[in-house]
Amino acid sequence: MNRLPTLISWFLALIIMQAFVFDPVLLGIPFAPFVYVLLLILLPNDWAPWLVLLTSFFIGLSIDFIFVSGGIHASACLIISYARPLLIRAVFSDTITSGNLKIEQEPFGRLFRYLCLVTVVHHFFVFVFIVVSTERIGWVISAWFTNSLITIIAGFFILALTRSIKR
Amino acid sequence: MQKLLNSILRNGTLLLFILLFGISFWLTTINQNYQRSAFLAFNNAVSAPLLEVRYRFFSYLKRQSHNEQLIAENQYLLSQIITKNNQAFLLDSIPFEVIPAQIIRNSIMLNHNYLTLNLGENNGIKKEMGVITANGVVGVINNTNAQTSGVISLLNKSLRVNAKLKKSNHFGSLSWDGDWPNSVILEDVPLAAKVVVGDTVVTGGMSAIFPAEIPIGVVSEAKVPINDNYYTLRVSLFQDMTNLNQVYVVNFPSADIIKGMKNENE
Repeated sequence: MNRLPTLISWFLALIIMQAFVFDPVLLGIPFAPFVYVLLLILLPNDWAPWLVLLTSFFIGLSIDFIFVSGGIHASACLIISYARPLLIRAVFSDTITSGNLKIEQEPFGRLFRYLCLVTVVHHFFVFVFIVVSTERIGWVISAWFTNSLITIIAGFFILALTRSIKR
Repeated sequence: MQKLLNSILRNGTLLLFILLFGISFWLTTINQNYQRSAFLAFNNAVSAPLLEVRYRFFSYLKRQSHNEQLIAENQYLLSQIITKNNQAFLLDSIPFEVIPAQIIRNSIMLNHNYLTLNLGENNGIKKEMGVITANGVVGVINNTNAQTSGVISLLNKSLRVNAKLKKSNHFGSLSWDGDWPNSVILEDVPLAAKVVVGDTVVTGGMSAIFPAEIPIGVVSEAKVPINDNYYTLRVSLFQDMTNLNQVYVVNFPSADIIKGMKNENE
């Protein structure tokens, strides 16, 4: 729990960034990077699953509150949290010994791969929940691809910057 | 009983996931139904101070484009005054007034997008008033509180606006298909209209929400579905919905009378 102040700082910084910088209306483009996904990545691996679920729900709901999107982001965050053990195993399978994995201390390459995986899965569900029909499958695919790409680029820079500052 | 408790404890994470997912799904569903969107009204009331700060920050960053927008609007209004002075007999005879307001929140990514205005009931804003800019239609007031108002955006699949082709006066129904924020769809225009790409689309004026002849956009694509007698037209909007700042809320003093007459006829 001694990582809690760091996590709260990350939460405030990313939520403010999402509301004041990465807003599609401010940027004047149909999409904007959902940088808050980094919060889902940085949640401690040793937290109990119920705590991870509740925290993710709260994160998603905060974003839904900003974007007036009902519960779309909260739903996508919950899926990521529930599938978290699978996603972690997919990227860190050769290094993890279950509970003692510290994601934020992993090599940058692995962290980036984890960011890509979480972003792609998260964004898929966000855009599926936005449309909720098979009519606009073309739009879902193009929005999913474009938004995932810009989130990954923004996430890459934020992670690289914070790592270089730490050093 | 013991077995049931054990089962709940064993599957606690799954049950919590289902519960929270159910809440999220419910919030998403009520957000898509603008007529019952109490959540939206609550959201606007609670987040008003944050939105005000956000609006000031956005306004500062976008001041140049907002100035350009205001100059364009002034030009347009000037041209309207000149036209009115010269052709007063052609104009709509129903009187209306406008209340200037600022957009403090806008969304464009969802199927059901909403906006928030910095004015509410204290400033005379009421439900079902139209919201426009000099460049076109923006939306319709959906809910109000003392200080802010929620607007159902033109980029909301639930909203339908009566519109017509300016050159031929053929009417149709305008709505958003949910694809890109720069265009909407005009349906139910009869084939007799002889539409060409570039034709201007304006409001039809057949409601107590928008006056007639408010510009909307130009036809960018005209299709006739198979076995149909009506066009499906894609309309490129004049108003950039991603760059909204100053808007005008349209107040028809005679809106209640018009609604009353409509109800009587129905």
